[in-house]
Order: sequence, then C-alpha cells, then structure tokens
Amino acid sequence: MQSWRRKSLWLALSASWLLILLRVFPVLRLAEPARRQAGGPQGWPRWLDAELLQSFSQPGELLEYGPQAPRGGRCYREACFDASRCRGGSLKVFVYSAVGPISETPRKVLTSIEGSRYHTASAAEACLLVLVLSPDTPAGECHPALPQWDGGKNHLVLSLHPTPCLRIFQLGQAMVAEASPTVDTFRPGFDVALPLLPEAHPLRGGALGQLQQHSPLPGVALIAVAEERGGWRLARTNFSACPWDGRCEQDHGPKQTHPRATLPNATFCLIPGHSPDALHFLQALQAGCIPVLLSPRWELPFSEVIDWTKAAIVADERLPLQVLAALQEMPLTRVLALRQQAQFLWDAYFSSIEKVIHTTLEIIQDRISGASAHPSLLWNSPPGALLALSTFSTSPSDFPFYHLQQGSRPLGRFSALIWVGAPGQPPLKLIQAVAGAQHCAQILVLWSSKKPPPPRWPETAVPLTVLDGHRKASDRFLPHSAIDTDAILSLDAHSSLSTSEVDFAFTVWQSFPERMVGFLTWSHFWDEAQGGWGYTGERTNEFSMVLTSAAFYHRYYHTLFTHSLPKALRTLADESPPCVDVLMNFLVAAVTKLPPIKVPYGPWHQEARPPPLAPGGPRFRAEPQPAAQDCLNQMAAGFGHMPLVSSRLRLDPVLFKDPVSVLRKKYRSLEKP
Amino acid sequence: MPRAGLDAQECEEEAVGVIMCASVKYSIRGPALIPRMKTKHRAYYITLFSIVLLGLIATGMFQFWPHSIESSGDWSVEKRSVRDVPVVRLPADSPVPERGDLSCRMHTCFDVYRCGFNPRNKIKVYIYPLKKYVGEAGVPVSSTISREYNELLTAISDSDYYTDDITRACLFVPSIDLLNQNSLRVKETAQALAQLSRWDRGTNHLLFNMLPGGPPDYNTALDVPRDRALLAGGGFSTWTYRQGYDVSIPVYSPLSAEVDLPEKGPGPRRYFLLSSQVALHPEYREDLAALQARHGEAVLVLDKCSNLSEGVPAARRRCHKQQAFEYPQVLQEATFCMVLRGARLGQAVLSDVLRAGCVPVIIADSYVLPFSEVLDWKRASVVVPEEKMLDVYSILQSIPRRQIEEMQRQARWFWEAYFQSIEAIALATLQIISDRVYPYAAISYEDWNDPPAVKWGSVSNPLFLPLIPPQSQGFTAIVLTYDRVESLFRVITEVSKVPSLSKLLVVWNNQNKNPPEDSLWPKIRVPLKVVRTAENKLSNRFFPYDEIETEAVLAIDDDIIMLTSDELQFGYEVWREFPDRLVGYPGRLHLWDHEMNKWKYESEWTNEVSMVLTGAAFYHKYFNYLYTYKMPGDIKNWVDAHMNCEDIAMNFLVANVTGKAVIKVTPRKKFKCPECTAIDGLSLDQTHMVERSECINKFASVFGTMPLKVVEHRADPVLYKDDFPEKLKSFPNIGSL
Repeated sequence: MQSWRRKSLWLALSASWLLILLRVFPVLRLAEPARRQAGGPQGWPRWLDAELLQSFSQPGELLEYGPQAPRGGRCYREACFDASRCRGGSLKVFVYSAVGPISETPRKVLTSIEGSRYHTASAAEACLLVLVLSPDTPAGECHPALPQWDGGKNHLVLSLHPTPCLRIFQLGQAMVAEASPTVDTFRPGFDVALPLLPEAHPLRGGALGQLQQHSPLPGVALIAVAEERGGWRLARTNFSACPWDGRCEQDHGPKQTHPRATLPNATFCLIPGHSPDALHFLQALQAGCIPVLLSPRWELPFSEVIDWTKAAIVADERLPLQVLAALQEMPLTRVLALRQQAQFLWDAYFSSIEKVIHTTLEIIQDRISGASAHPSLLWNSPPGALLALSTFSTSPSDFPFYHLQQGSRPLGRFSALIWVGAPGQPPLKLIQAVAGAQHCAQILVLWSSKKPPPPRWPETAVPLTVLDGHRKASDRFLPHSAIDTDAILSLDAHSSLSTSEVDFAFTVWQSFPERMVGFLTWSHFWDEAQGGWGYTGERTNEFSMVLTSAAFYHRYYHTLFTHSLPKALRTLADESPPCVDVLMNFLVAAVTKLPPIKVPYGPWHQEARPPPLAPGGPRFRAEPQPAAQDCLNQMAAGFGHMPLVSSRLRLDPVLFKDPVSVLRKKYRSLEKP
Repeated sequence: MPRAGLDAQECEEEAVGVIMCASVKYSIRGPALIPRMKTKHRAYYITLFSIVLLGLIATGMFQFWPHSIESSGDWSVEKRSVRDVPVVRLPADSPVPERGDLSCRMHTCFDVYRCGFNPRNKIKVYIYPLKKYVGEAGVPVSSTISREYNELLTAISDSDYYTDDITRACLFVPSIDLLNQNSLRVKETAQALAQLSRWDRGTNHLLFNMLPGGPPDYNTALDVPRDRALLAGGGFSTWTYRQGYDVSIPVYSPLSAEVDLPEKGPGPRRYFLLSSQVALHPEYREDLAALQARHGEAVLVLDKCSNLSEGVPAARRRCHKQQAFEYPQVLQEATFCMVLRGARLGQAVLSDVLRAGCVPVIIADSYVLPFSEVLDWKRASVVVPEEKMLDVYSILQSIPRRQIEEMQRQARWFWEAYFQSIEAIALATLQIISDRVYPYAAISYEDWNDPPAVKWGSVSNPLFLPLIPPQSQGFTAIVLTYDRVESLFRVITEVSKVPSLSKLLVVWNNQNKNPPEDSLWPKIRVPLKVVRTAENKLSNRFFPYDEIETEAVLAIDDDIIMLTSDELQFGYEVWREFPDRLVGYPGRLHLWDHEMNKWKYESEWTNEVSMVLTGAAFYHKYFNYLYTYKMPGDIKNWVDAHMNCEDIAMNFLVANVTGKAVIKVTPRKKFKCPECTAIDGLSLDQTHMVERSECINKFASVFGTMPLKVVEHRADPVLYKDDFPEKLKSFPNIGSL
C-alpha cells in the first residue's frame, strides 16, 4: 500500500512536472515577441560599461602635424586663379575680340561683357581674361594664338552653346563657363555652369516671365512632360506607371503636343535629365512652371550661388510613383513658393544674354571678394544679386528689400537733400518747412549753381550741410557719404512743401521702403501715332512716375543709380535734365516691378511755384518737348523693355477730407494751408 | 504566497512569473490529493520543497535559454558588457572590397528602391549588431567600439530614422568603429565590412570617420577600401570628396563635453586674431610669428606650454612665451581664431572656436568644410587661401563690424546645432542623406542656417513675387447669408454692377431653410452659385471652395448695401496693386490699454488703421486655404463656437504670414443703411466691444505675438476730391461716408 502510494505520488509529481514543462515552453516562446512589440523596436544596447569606453582619439592624436598637402592635380579656386592680380579686390575683365566673322550669340556675349562695369580695355590691367568660343568655329581653328594665355591662368573660356572646341582645347588652368556641363567634368567652385539658351535669346531686357498670378489657375494641368523632340505634352496624373519613359505611351489619355516654341501651361514640368533637356529647363522657368528634374546628368546653372531647392525639384527617376505622389500631395504653400521662385530666377538671371553674362562675372567677383561677397539671401530673393550691389553693403537689412526676411525696419529718420540749380536762390522757406518735420535728421544742400553759396544759412533745428555739386543733373543721385539715414527726401530749390505733408509722406514711405513716395506725378502711355512711348504731366487717373523734385526713397537707389546704370543712359540724363527723373523712375521700377506711390499735395503750392523747369510739370499744359519725349524711348531701349508700372491710387491720411471735426485729424493742414 | 489566487490566464501574461504560478498551483492541489498521508508529512514536504526548488532552477534556466540559442538575434535586449560581444574570426583570404569609386553619385551608386515609399519622407536606418572581429591569428582588427561611436549609434537608435528590421532599412550603419583610422587595421577592417550580411558592394552603407589617413602621407579620406559605401568623413579635400554623395562632417572635440563654456555675446574682444593650435607645420609657425611681429598686441599666437604644473592636462593649457592661458576659455577673448591645417584638413579646434563665438579663419586649401552641402559657411567663417596667410590681418580688417558680430552669432549657432555633440553630428548627417532621397520634402536653407532668433523674427511672405495680376481675371464675390433674403438680393444686385465681377457665390448657412427657388433670384450677368453648408459656422465664409476660380475674392456680408459699384471696382484695382494684403472698406484699430494691461478693440474715427473687416474686403484666395487648414491653435474652432471675430482672426492670420499692414480703401464709414449712425458695426453696444477686445487678446496669446501693423493711410483714387471735372475721373462715385 505504501509503495503504491509512493508510486502514485511520484507519478503525480512527474506528471505535474511534465505539465509545467509543457506549459512553460510555449508560454516563453509566445512571450518573447509579445514583449518586443510592447517596447517598440529594440535599439542599440545600453552597455553596462559604456562609461569605461575609450575615446576615439587620444589627445595627442588630434594635434599631429604632417607634410603639406600635395598641390596640383585638379584645379580649384585658390590653386589656379591668382586673385592677387585683381587689385583692391575688384574684378577687371578683358575680353579677346573676335577674329573674323562671328555669329549672333557670341557677338551678343561680347557686347554684354563690354557693357559690364567690370570691363577694361587693357589686357595688362585685367585679372580675368575671357575667351568667347563660337559654336561655328571649325575644329581646326579652336586655339587662336593668345599672347596672354600663360597656361590658361586667370582665363575664362566661355561658351553659350556646346562646341567641339571645348573638347579639343588644351584648357590648362583656365576656368570653363559652359552651358549645362556634365557633373563629372564640372569643378565646383572653379568652373561656372551656364544655362543652355535658345538660339534667339535677346541681348538685354529680355523675354518677360509668363507668370501672371501667384497661384496656379484652377483646372490647369498638374504635369507637363518635356518631349524628346522639343515641345511639351500634358500628362494625366492617374496613370499607373512610367509617365515619362516612352514604354507606356499608349495609356497616356489626353495628350497635347505643342510646337517647340510654346511654353508649357502646367504646375509642374517634368524634365528627364539628359543634356538636350536643358533647354526645356529654361522654358519651364520662364513659364513659371516648377521644373521637376529627373536625375540630371548636368550641373544646374549658377548652382554655386542659386539655391535650386527653392525653385525646382531634383528627383530620382527610379522612383516615378513616389515622385508623382509627392507632387500630387505637395502642400499649396510650397507649390506657391516654388512657382514664384522659379519665375523670380528667370527674371533676375536668365531672361537675357546680358543677365547671364553679368551673373557669371558677378559670381567670379564674389569669389574674389571673400567675406564681402553677396550673402545667399541676396542671390536668392527678389530683386536678385545683380540689383543688390555688395559694394553697398553685405548686410541685408541695409537694403530696402529684405526687412521682412530680416525682421528689421528701416531707420526712423530721413535726410533732406535739396538740389539748388542755376538760379542759385537759397530755398529758405523750404528749409524751414522741412526742418520742422518730426523725423528729419539733417538737411543737405547740394549747391550746383555758378553763384557761390551764401555764407550764412538760417538757424534750423537740425544740422544743415552744404555740399558742392558739379552742375551735372545726375549729380543729385551720387551716393554722398554725408547721407547716413535710410530715407532720402529729394527736393529742388523751387519745390514747395508743408511740414505736415513731409510728415505724412514719411510715415507712408516707412511702409514701402523699396518704393518711391512722391507728391507730383507723370504718367507714360503708348503713343500709337508716334509709334513710341510718350508721357504727360497732366493730371490723369493714373500715374507711373513721381518727380524727384519732391520724393522719398531709399538711399540705396543713389548707389544703384551711380554704379549699375550704363554710362550712356546717365550721359543722356545729363544732357536733358527731365530725363534724370525718368531714369530714376525707370531704375526703381525695374528693380521693384511695382509702381511708385503718390501722397496728397496741396493745390495751393502750385500757385506759389514758379513755372517748373521740367516739361510735364504740374502747371505745364503744353505737350512735352520732343527731346524729353525721346528720352523715354531711349531709356526704354536701354533697359530693353518698358519697366514702368501704372498705379491708380493715392495714399491719403485715414480721415482725409472726411466730414468730421478737424481737431480729430492728425494731418489737418494737408487739407488747408 | 500572495499570487496563489492567480488563474492560468493571468499567469500567462507575464513570462517570468509563469513558472512560479504553475508550481504554486500544483502545491495547492497537492494536499487535497493525498489527505490520508499524515504519517508521510515529512516526505511530502521534502518533495514539495524539491519541486519548488526545481521550478526555481527551471525559471532561472529559461531566463537565459532563449539568448543562448539565438545568440545573434536578441542578445542585445539585456544590459551587457561590450567585452562579451560575440567574436568573429576573419579568414585571411576573405574578400576585400574594391577601393571606392570616385564617380559615385546618388543616382548611380545608391539603391533608392530600398527606400521605397515612405509617407513620412524619412529614411530608415539599420544598425548591425556589435561584434568583435579578429584576424586569423586571433588579433583584433580594431578596438571594439569607442565611446563616441557608441554614442553615435545610440543617437541613431533613439532617433526617428532607426529601424530594427533589416528588410525595411534603406541605409545600413555597420557597428565597426571607423572613427579613427589610426586605431584599426585597414585590410582586415575592410574584410570585416565585406562580410556584413547586406554589404552588396557597400550599397546604401554609411561609414563614419573623423580622423582619416595616417602617417606619413595622411590621406584626406578613410583608407579602408569601401567600394560604394557612403562616407561621412571629417577632413575631406575637394579631391577625395564625392560631391552630393559623401557627407563632410566635423571632427568632434571631446572638450565639448568636458568643459563648461557659457555663451559670450558678440562684439569686439581683447585680441583681434588668435592662433591656439599647437601642432603646426614649422612654415606656418614662421608665418604666425611674422604676423605677430607686424601687428603686435592685436594678434596672439599660442603654443604648447614647456613647464606644465602637475595635474593640468596639456590639452587644457596654452602658452605665449611664459604666460599661460586656459584653453578653450582663451578663445572667448578673440574676435577671429585661426584654423590651420595640421596633419589632417579637419581639425577639432574648429569646434572649440565656433563654441567660443570666435569667427574661424580657415586656412586649409581644398578643405571641404563640415556639412558644406547645407551650411552656408560664408556667414560664419572667413576662408583664406594658404598663399595669402600673411595678408590675413588686412583681409579681416576690411570686414565691417556689424558683419563680424553676425558671424560670431552664427558661429555659436552652428556649434550648438551641428557640432556640440556626437548626436548632433549623427542626426545632421542622416538628415542630409534623407533629404537627398526625398528631395521634395527636404528642409530649406533657412532651416539649416538661420539661428532661432532670426527664424522667429523673420517673415517669409507666401506671395513674395511682385506682380500685378491682370485686370481681366476679375474677382469672385462671396456672400455669407443666413436668412435675410431681401437684403441679400439687394447686395447681389449692387455687386453685379461691378465690371470686374466674374462670379458670385452665395454661401447659404441656414440648414433649416432652403434657399429661394431659382426663379426668384435676381438676374445678373455673371454666374451665380449657391453653396449649402452642413453646419452654421462662420468659418464657412473662408472655405477655399472649388467654385472660386479667381485669385481675388470679395467677402461681403448680406447687409452691406451702401457700397457703390465705383467703390467696389476701385477696391479691386487696389487689391491688384497689393495682392498679398487684405484690402477692405471698414477699418478698425487695436490699442494697448495701459490701465487694464491688455489689448483693446477700437471702432472710433481714428487716424490709424490696423484691421479691415471682412464684411467687405478683397483678399487672395490662398488666405482661405490658410484660414481653413493652417490657422494656428484652436482659433478656428473657438471662432465657430463663439460665432464672432472670424474677421479679426483673418486679419491676424494675414498679417502674421505676410508681415504687412492692411489697406483701407475709400473714405466710406457707413455700409448698411442710410439712416444708421455714422459708425457701422454689427452692434455698437458695450458688450460687443468687450467681446471683440477679448478676441484680440485671445488671438494675440495664441499667435504668441501681436502681428497686426498700424498704418496711417488709406487708398483713394488718384484724383479723389481734387479740383478736377468729376466726369473725367475714373471713379467719380466714391461716397463721402
């Protein structure tokens, strides 16, 4: 009995033991993955002895010194370009003139270089020598004998179109500016990537951007695909695969093929990345269509300074569906930003051969300048680096264009700059009126009369300085070093203004620091009969220019006027004084692409004024003189297009002429003297 | 035994507790089975005890069993020592990868298919488990792992990029420590790389290296043959760097963690130029001596200390003649600090210099600066060619003071964001690679480069391109209405007279009542659409309806009957000149109430304007999209719940994204009916004003700032109230009130 009990006990024990084992095994097996899921992915282990690990380097190791790095081999900026030849850090460019007949485009290139402010006629003085290659040079005559060649040092070999010469040429240490260079041969920081331009690209001014509105029109195609033979095809977006390679041509649904010249009308422009497609790339920019490049084998134009991620999408052609999905789901905010940036870049750097060439030179100048080069913001936001001179400042908040991005404001004071011309009468009343203005910092009198200035000037609340002018009309826009405020109030001796008008106009200018804010206006129009532009000073319902005889604007425009305008235009302005006003308005309009701003001007001033010198002044009812009329057309030719923009509004004080008590009004004397 | 009551179900939930539960269960059942065994008590208890003991042993065994059978899989779960990692013996003839392909680019050598579609547009990174590799003779190929590499892998593993699923990964990071080439054997390390399970010629593998090359020639890239693997290297030269494929990273300075160095603001400092490096080529020493001789006090050249006192590590001291300086603190005394090439191009001193807010002067020809693909080094450093080293002083002198201060701030920010820790370096590297794979989701230049203060203060206007939309496009009028049909029809009739109107949209906000029949609506020359809403919400007026086909939108209340056709047409013209602003008729102002210390709403006849009411205002359709989908915080719901202030919310929104003021057009003050008082508004009573003020305070706190801009101007036609024949004016019928 005992033995049976013992046996049964042992049996029960072993049975339960077996049970335990059988139960526990599967439980453990199951428990393992369950625990992993609960804790998320298992990461890199936390080593118990992590604290005891050795550092990757011993203190001494960081301090080794070794041999000088090998020199030679591939060229890069410091090795192959001798910047010390550019005296004073400023670029001087000499261009070899063409031998024999050359075709249209290289001639435009030569003209552009010669028109640049960096150009010099002497090869000895230059620190950059440019050789322009022509696409139709026979391969045998590629290498002209150049006395200054010197192994290509400080040379730039420039070719706007693919030419066999570039492959044959012994480039030596010369930089290459080539249209759409392949990424494999391109030397970043040394070569310059140019855009591939269409054959008949204009010399200056240029084909305007096509973008008419900020957001894409509803119903416009999402994607246009560049075709191999040129032209564009609108693509449907619900295709299952391969929208851009020819294999699934049949299921494209509606398709439209445009002739070569037309611009795509779509939100995104898909461009396969082969070299001939570079032409499509520019077309897309001009149309304000966001370029989507598929693994381009070529370097994007001016990639050294332009941040292409803001204007184009470089995607991988191996992931077509992902790219498509990304385009379809792209937030509207980003679509808007890309579209506008693409258009801005077209207008700023690509729309004419002159801009392309000047951009190239500006990039090389930036390399020489080092710390005083254009900051990236100036290259990549309107109006662009060609119009934001780094010689003026490298700090964006000094310019009138970047206050929003910088979170800054223009300085809250202004300098009044009074130009005293031939009659030589000191404008005492005007000085008193301006000096009484709330934000006036100083008064500068630019004495340009033959008569000597009077020895005594009236006592004013603000400092008054007399500057000596040179009796040239364009002198009034010299960047005088005495101007230390952001705002300038430009005045003529015969201008008549009240303190209240000045105060109000200045508060308006602070809201629009990049524009001109003026009292008296002219407007331009297309004169069918004459076949040219005309302008009038008569009172009309719109205007496009403000007279600089009484206007607020940013002091940067003085620098821009003096240093960026072609000399021919400034000479023209000197010969015919009203042209100075036109020229300044052209310049500001070309930079801002916006009209100036008009503020109220008391009618009683006009009775007090002597007849204005300028034709088209407010009292001048006769037709403007032919010479002045002509200056408008010459300026338009010089700019390559008509930059002026018309406005139909005037900014008045909020309660201007409202039927409320005058005591409520801050600018009450604007309504009555 | 407190757990005795647990049933089997519960027991199973906890793996470790299972055996205990099971055995206890049995022990409870035991006495019931053998009640008559009183004399055998001792034997019974011994048996019971042994069972429990056995159970415990089994528990202990099971705890370690899974790891011993799957050593490569889950051994990492528990806390372990680096010394215990599995050892892998590499046969002498195991394959060595190719040297490395200099022509590699993302679209040739990188396999994007592995990155597949990823809704979050972030690459997935897998880290190989740690192993100890030994050669044939049993000699380790390198030290197993350094402190920094362990930190780096930990950082990746803790980030969003990490995945532990090797089949889903798009990028692979070996756990073989390559940070310092000096501490590894080149060929054997390469063999170790080649036998990684997904190596495949190194495709999609990322190697980290900070100290490349070794004596005597100090190559500028890691000498370990690596085939197609991407290299994140510190010290690339332009010759070894594969642009757009490799990533240039900083050389981490261990002092970043060791020393506490509080930020010092920008501004002029005691020394203009400082050189703190100790191991410099004799030629550079000569040049530095010449610089110091020429410029005297402004230049300080430091070197090793010859007589160090006990206990001070050499790395923390620098000397000039007999004078000793603490390093890196001394860097804070200088405006510019030299970073010269040593044996390698990448120098850890760069990190110390940036941290001190000293502007680095980099004199190392052909050096590819850290993260140069995304960081704009022009803003934080001065690069001087080696040839011009003697002119460096005059080059630096020509930089304006304001720019120097900007650079000092930028330098410190770069250190904080990208140099300060191994984690920062690792994450920036992965971000760069991720942005290459998903370029359409890449983060922008500003995100990389702008310090937080600039990001906070700056505004990037979404409609930044200056352009004046063509007049031909016209505008869409949107009338929000509930049930005031008569007034609505009057508004429709008035608005339809405006020449540039291209479509009229009525948003019918009343769910209980049907809109009038088609035949009852006024006949107008443009399409009229009625949209019925699902709920009576104020935000319905700002929905970006597909029916809006123009950029310009005129929002108008169903009781604004006083606006003339000339006024509306002029308003549209003004909007064309300011397409990024709210252009409206009723102007309002916000004021700071000094007594109550909060904002106050003002509708009196003031000389200033900071808002226009959307009861009659033109604006860009894009702002509808912003209002509906991007309104910050809970403002949208709050407005719908309170049935008020949608117009103030819109003013806040537009001012905040554009940074610009509104434009009030025309002098008109009365909008609803001729007999009403001069100042219009929903109501004039006190509670209304209090509510509106509350809205302003609420929105200002949600936006975290007061975005509204105050101006003193309004827009009138050029010849408004001028002494000029009325019939020649474009917009003669501009009401006086």
